[in-house]
Amino acid sequence: MKAAYLRVLLFAGAALAAGASGCAHKAPVEPPKPPLVPAVFQPLQEALQKSYLELFQLAPTLEFSNTQIQNMRNYLEQARKYCVGQYKKKSDQYSADLKRLEGNLKQVSATASDTQRHDLHCQIQNTRALQSQTEVLADHAIPVAYENKEAKLDLIQQWPGDLKQIKQQIADGSYLKRQWGDVKDIGFREIASGQKDDIKTGEDAIKQMKQAGLMPKELDNKAITDYVEGVAQKVAKHSDLQIPLHVTVLNSKEINAFALPGGFLFVERGLLDAADDESELAGVIGHEIGHVVARHGHKLMQKATIESVVFQAAQVAAVLLTGGAAGIGTYYALQYGFYGLGLALNLNLLGVSREYELQADQLGIQYAWNTGYDPSGFIRFFDKMATQEGYVNGASWFRDHPPFYQRMLDAEREIMFLPKKENLVVQSSAFEQMKKELKPVTAKAEAEEKGRPSLLAPEQGCPAPQKIEYKPGEPIETICSLPGTVVTTKVASR
Amino acid sequence: MFAARDSGDHKGGKQITALAGLAIGAILVAFRALPVAAQAPRLVSLYATVERDGGLVRGLGPQNFHLYEDGDSRPFRLEQPETPMVIALLVEYSQRSYPYFNDIQTAVESFVKQAPEGNWYALATFSHNLEVQVDFTKQVMQLSNAFAQLGEPMWNEVDTYDAVYEMLDKMERLPGRRVLIVIASGLDSFSSHTLDDVQKKIDAVNVVIYGVGAGSMLRGLYEPYLGAMQEMSLLQAQTFLQMLADKSGGEAWFPKLEGAFPDVIKGIFQDLENQYRLVYESRAAADHKLHKIKLEAFQIVNDKRQNFKVRVREGWRF
Repeated sequence: MKAAYLRVLLFAGAALAAGASGCAHKAPVEPPKPPLVPAVFQPLQEALQKSYLELFQLAPTLEFSNTQIQNMRNYLEQARKYCVGQYKKKSDQYSADLKRLEGNLKQVSATASDTQRHDLHCQIQNTRALQSQTEVLADHAIPVAYENKEAKLDLIQQWPGDLKQIKQQIADGSYLKRQWGDVKDIGFREIASGQKDDIKTGEDAIKQMKQAGLMPKELDNKAITDYVEGVAQKVAKHSDLQIPLHVTVLNSKEINAFALPGGFLFVERGLLDAADDESELAGVIGHEIGHVVARHGHKLMQKATIESVVFQAAQVAAVLLTGGAAGIGTYYALQYGFYGLGLALNLNLLGVSREYELQADQLGIQYAWNTGYDPSGFIRFFDKMATQEGYVNGASWFRDHPPFYQRMLDAEREIMFLPKKENLVVQSSAFEQMKKELKPVTAKAEAEEKGRPSLLAPEQGCPAPQKIEYKPGEPIETICSLPGTVVTTKVASR
Repeated sequence: MFAARDSGDHKGGKQITALAGLAIGAILVAFRALPVAAQAPRLVSLYATVERDGGLVRGLGPQNFHLYEDGDSRPFRLEQPETPMVIALLVEYSQRSYPYFNDIQTAVESFVKQAPEGNWYALATFSHNLEVQVDFTKQVMQLSNAFAQLGEPMWNEVDTYDAVYEMLDKMERLPGRRVLIVIASGLDSFSSHTLDDVQKKIDAVNVVIYGVGAGSMLRGLYEPYLGAMQEMSLLQAQTFLQMLADKSGGEAWFPKLEGAFPDVIKGIFQDLENQYRLVYESRAAADHKLHKIKLEAFQIVNDKRQNFKVRVREGWRF
C-alpha cells in the first residue's frame, strides 16, 4: 500500500511542473604547468619521429646515456601532461561556451527571427566542432602520440640488448626451443587439437551477429573478393589450419579483419584500403588464421557464455556504428573474434586475450613467411596503424592490447628466428589491380555515406567550422607550443 | 503563349499591337485574381490513411479521392510512397519518467522487433535537452543497443514541446518520406516553445507524427487519488500527443496495458504500409497562415457514394 502511495506521489509529481534540477558542480582545476626546459638531445627527438621498423635497424648504432634517456622520458611525461592539459582546458572552455549558446537558443528560440536563429545555429555548430576536436585531441590523439614516443624510447634503450640476446640464441641454437619454433613442420604440427569442433560455434556466432545487426554488408565485387580469397587460401594452405577457411569481404570502412572459431575469416574493405602491399595484407590474414589454429575462441569461451559475449559485442557495435567516440580501437577488438570481443572488454580476462594476441602475432608471421611473403609486412602495417590510424575516429588502436613495444619486439624477434629465404614477396600486380578495383567501390560507399539522412546534418549557409590542423604522424609539438629549447648534441655512433 | 504565337505570325503592326494589348490586359487580370503573397506552386506529397469500420482500406485509385486546398478542388497524382522511409523515434527519458518507464521500454523494444528492413531509423531522447542517441541507420538493432546503454537520466524535466519542435526542425532538412514516432507521456515542464509554436511547426513541416502515450495505465489506476490540477495536466498531456497526430495525419494511442504496446507499434507500421501518396501542386501562399486541406475518400457502389474516414494532415503553413 505504501509502495502504491509512493507511485501515486511520483506520478502526481510527474504531472506537475517541478523546480529546476540541480547540476554537477566542478571544482576549479589548476591550469597545467609547462614542462621544464628539457635537457634532451635533438637527435633523440629526431629518432623518435622514425618508424618502428627503421628504429630496429638504427637503434643498435645509436648511443645515448641512461641519463639522457631518462631526461627524455621525464620530458615526454611532462610534455604529455602539459599538452593534454592545454587541450582539456580549451575543451572545457568550449563546453562552457556551448552550454551558454544552447541556453541562449532555448531562451530566444520561440521569439527569434529566422536570421537570429540561423546565426545562433551557426555559432553552436562551430563551437561543437571545436569542442569535439579539442576533446579528441586531449583524450586520444595526444596520448597516442606520446605513447608512441615512449614506446620508441623503450625500443632505443632495450633493443640493442635484446638484439645481442637474440644473436646469442641463434648462435647456440636455443631459439629452436621457443614455443612453436618448429617452423619447418608447419602444416604437420598441432597447435591446438580439435579445430573442427569449433565449426558449429562459428556458424552460430555468425547467425547471432547477423540477427543482432552487427555484421556489415558483404562487398559486391567479384574481382576483389576473389583476390582476397586467393591470398587468404594461399596463406591458409601454408599454415597449421586443418579445416576449410571461409573468407568473406565486408563492405565497411573499418580497418579491420576478424576470425570466428571454425575458420570463418572476415576482411573489411577499410583494411584493403589501408594496406599498401600484399605482404601487409598477408600478415594480417596470417594473424587471424593464427587465432583459429590456436583455438583462442574456444579457450576464451570457456570463460564467458556466448550470450554475454553477444551482449557486449552489441554494446560495442552500437558505439561504433553510430559514430561514437570509439572507432577503430573498439572495432578492431572484433579481431579477437566474436567471443574475444566480449573478453576484450572484461578486464579480468584481458590478460588472457593479450597473451593470445601475442601468440596470433607469432603464428601469423610464421604463416606469411611460410607462404613466401616478407613477414615484416606485418610490422609495417602495425607501424602505420600506430602512427596514423591511432587517431582515426579518436580512438587508440591498441589501448587494450599488449604493450605496443612488446608486440613489435616479439614480432621482430620471431622474424629474426625464421630461416632466411630468398625472393620474399612484398608486392604483386594482383594487389595493385585489386587496389584499382577498390577505388570506385570506396568512392561509391563514401558517396552513399554522404547521402545518408542525418539528424546531425550541419546547418546550411554557415561559415565552415574552424579546424585544428593536426595530421596523425606529424610531430605532436606542432599543436602544443611547448616552451623551452632543446639541447643539440651530435649522436655518437658505435 | 502569346509570344510563341507571335513568333510565327508576321501580320500587320496594328494586329501585333492589339495582341500585345490583349496580352497585357490578360496578365493584369490574372495578377489581380491571385492573392498578394502568391508564389509559384510547389509540388507536395500528401500522405493519407483511409479507414472503414476501424480497418484500413487498400486498393483505391485516383477516382476514389477528391482533394481540396483552401476549399478549392486540386488536381493530383496518386503515386507510390517514397522509399526508404526516414523514421525517427523520439523517446522521453527523464527522472520523471520513472513511474511509467516500463511502458517506454516496452514500446522501444516492440518498435525494434517489428521495424521492417530497408528504412532509415534514428533514436533521440529528451528530458531537459534533446539528445540524438543514434543517427539514421538501416540497422535498427542499434537503436535497441543504444537504448539499453543509456545511463541514469540526469534531469527531472520533460521539455516535450521543445523536443518535438527541435526534432521537426531537424527533420525538415531531410529528403523523402519522413515519420516521427513520439513515445512519451505528453507532459511538459519547462519548454521554451509554446503549444502554438509546435502547432505552427507541424503545419510547416511535412512529417507524419505518431504518438504512443506512456503512463496511461498508471493514470487509470490512480485517477481517483489525483487532484484537479494533476488531472488537468494529464489531460493536457494526452491532448498534446493527440494533437501531434491529428495535425500531421498520424495517429495517437494510449495503451492501458503493457502488453498492448506491441500491437500499437504493429498498428503504426500497418498504417505506414497502407498510406496513399497524393502528389499535387499546392497553391498555398507563403503568408504564414494555415491553408487547410480536405481530402475525401469514397467509392461508388450501386450508384451510391460510400464515404471513408480519412486521416491526413490538417494543412500547410508556408
